Amino acid sequence: MKISTMQKNGWIVLLALASMVALAGCGGSGGAQTGASGGSASGGRSPVSAGGGKPALEIAVIPKGTTHEYWKSIHAGAIKAQQELAQKGQQIHIKWQGPLEENDKNTQINIVETFIQQKVNGFVLAPLDSQALVTPVNEAEKAGIPVVILDSALNSSNYSSFVATDNKKGGFLAGQALIHLLGGKGRVLMMRYLEGSASTADREAGFLQAIQAAKGITLVSSDQYGGASAETAFQTGQNLMNRFSKNLDGVFTPNESTTLGMRLALKGVGMLGKVKFVGFDSDPKLIDALKAHEIQALVVQNPFKMGEEGVLTVVKVINKQPVPKRIDTGVAVVTPQNMNTPDMVKLLNPPLDQYLK
Amino acid sequence: MAQSNTITQPGSPDLPGRPTPRDTMRSAGRMAGPFLGLALVLLLFSIKPDVRSSFLAVGNFRIVAAQTVIVALGALGMTIIMISGGIDLSVGSVIALTCVIAALMIKAGQPAIVALCVAALSGGVVGAINGSLIAGLRVTPFIVTLGTLGVARGAAKWLAQEQTINPPSSALNNLAATQPVPSWLLVSPGVWITLALAILTAILLRYTLLGRYIFAIGSNEIASRLGGLRVDALKIGIYALGGLFFGLAGALQYGRLGMGDPTVAVGAELDIIAAVVIGGGSLSGGEGSVLGSILGALIMSFLRNGSQQMGWPAYVEEMIIGAVIVAAVALDQIRHRGRKG
Repeated sequence: MKISTMQKNGWIVLLALASMVALAGCGGSGGAQTGASGGSASGGRSPVSAGGGKPALEIAVIPKGTTHEYWKSIHAGAIKAQQELAQKGQQIHIKWQGPLEENDKNTQINIVETFIQQKVNGFVLAPLDSQALVTPVNEAEKAGIPVVILDSALNSSNYSSFVATDNKKGGFLAGQALIHLLGGKGRVLMMRYLEGSASTADREAGFLQAIQAAKGITLVSSDQYGGASAETAFQTGQNLMNRFSKNLDGVFTPNESTTLGMRLALKGVGMLGKVKFVGFDSDPKLIDALKAHEIQALVVQNPFKMGEEGVLTVVKVINKQPVPKRIDTGVAVVTPQNMNTPDMVKLLNPPLDQYLK
Repeated sequence: MAQSNTITQPGSPDLPGRPTPRDTMRSAGRMAGPFLGLALVLLLFSIKPDVRSSFLAVGNFRIVAAQTVIVALGALGMTIIMISGGIDLSVGSVIALTCVIAALMIKAGQPAIVALCVAALSGGVVGAINGSLIAGLRVTPFIVTLGTLGVARGAAKWLAQEQTINPPSSALNNLAATQPVPSWLLVSPGVWITLALAILTAILLRYTLLGRYIFAIGSNEIASRLGGLRVDALKIGIYALGGLFFGLAGALQYGRLGMGDPTVAVGAELDIIAAVVIGGGSLSGGEGSVLGSILGALIMSFLRNGSQQMGWPAYVEEMIIGAVIVAAVALDQIRHRGRKG
């Protein structure tokens, strides 16, 4: 009787897995292959000539995470590059794959290794950690797959190009904006983002550099981390407000999630609009906050251009063309006063719907 | 006559003694489930020809092996604990804590082997604490280890001063690397260590007195106590032994990342428990096997690896793994209801 129970269990396992496989197969296919690809089979690695004569390239684009608006803009920029290249006769497939959380380094390492195994033609990678991703990138370069680093620096020079904002400058501009808003005098605090994130660390350093030069400004806190999500940033922000809100004039946060979280924290203690708030990055909620004068200035990057340049650069490297080692995609300070000028409008509203159908 | 729980080798209605050929066959039969599961997963991702060529490749198996090591080591420790009827939810936090400890050791200039041992021992200490609280307070292991999950994670962040620790590279980095440095090793030294430990653990569970005691406590704790086993002392030892494995997993996690990261391995306990349950372990104790747990860990690694090669978004992967966990636990329940009938 025991043997038949075991056989029954074996069949149950088989059936359960089979039904899951069937469901997954129906639901999951066609997920990451986006944009104008010339034909039928998704994920094809063998070069497919489609009307242009040159083989189609597989480009792995790996962001730090997939939930922030920032990464969606990069994705849209990558797709614009794909369309531009298609018009010139170079077909590429973009394999967009990122960890769900921005602190899951293990998964990002696994993703890079698996793509190396699949022999993609090029990487566009935003490293979650400047140190942890050095080995996988070395492995990619060793396997002959060029790597373009995006958004955050890597502690090595073994890559083809680094396409990013000048983050130190961005932080410095934020510091100057806050000093200007406060008339050179006041008590400010900075809430950091995440340990190991090079891009935000540079912004934080740039901000501190500007603040330290201003004699009338006192920095009351700069050692708290908001964490990977707006929720965790909200909690840290609340704790900071508990301690400092009675005697505070200005606040700086270095990225989208910390700015969102701090805004909620300020709202919770009724300080929105009462302190000068300089944030970083934009998304629809932050733009509304800027309009409503809840935020006084947003330092905005150009993630759309970053995605576009990243893909164009890696394709150039694959085609053995020279590329600059460092490409600066620019940074701008948006205020309620200048946010309606045409340049700023374009920066704040990248054409996501047009490219991310 | 109803099959009662007795202090014997699992599955044997005979007198207690060395495993008989019939026991071996029964164990082999019980393995049918996980083996079939692994075969199915491999089959699933081999359907599309362009995926198959990169999925069913030696290079890919090497990657999956390296990626499975940490969960596999955790699953070895968890198997021992779960067979004894317990559970340890703090494993993810212990991995983070021992990862940080290993990093601190290397940073302090200690050789890799010392860092490895200190990390493993630290895991053992946390395990012993878990065991003492469970045996002493008589609170269910789920709750106690839920508490140590938080304490260990906090301790990790405290020791690391809320940053990542970046020591210079050492032999420890090579242990978990995907490409082994003397390439005749075929897979990283960490994989070989895990295999060796798996064999040792299987021998422990099957052929030693401690193994019998572990099964005994898991099958029927009250009878074991009445039968004269020092259940409380054994529990402390069992959780400490599991903790040694978790500490080792943390050292290898350090090797893989190259840094001490206190935010690593969040949620790892779910993967590890799932691996044990898929492999035939029971949440109510008294059952489990090393081979099954390793197969379970491999099934989940292959699921993740294959999902990515198919180009499915990350959330599909999450849902599939969640569904597999539910199916495995449901199976565990069905199997138990079947036995009582």
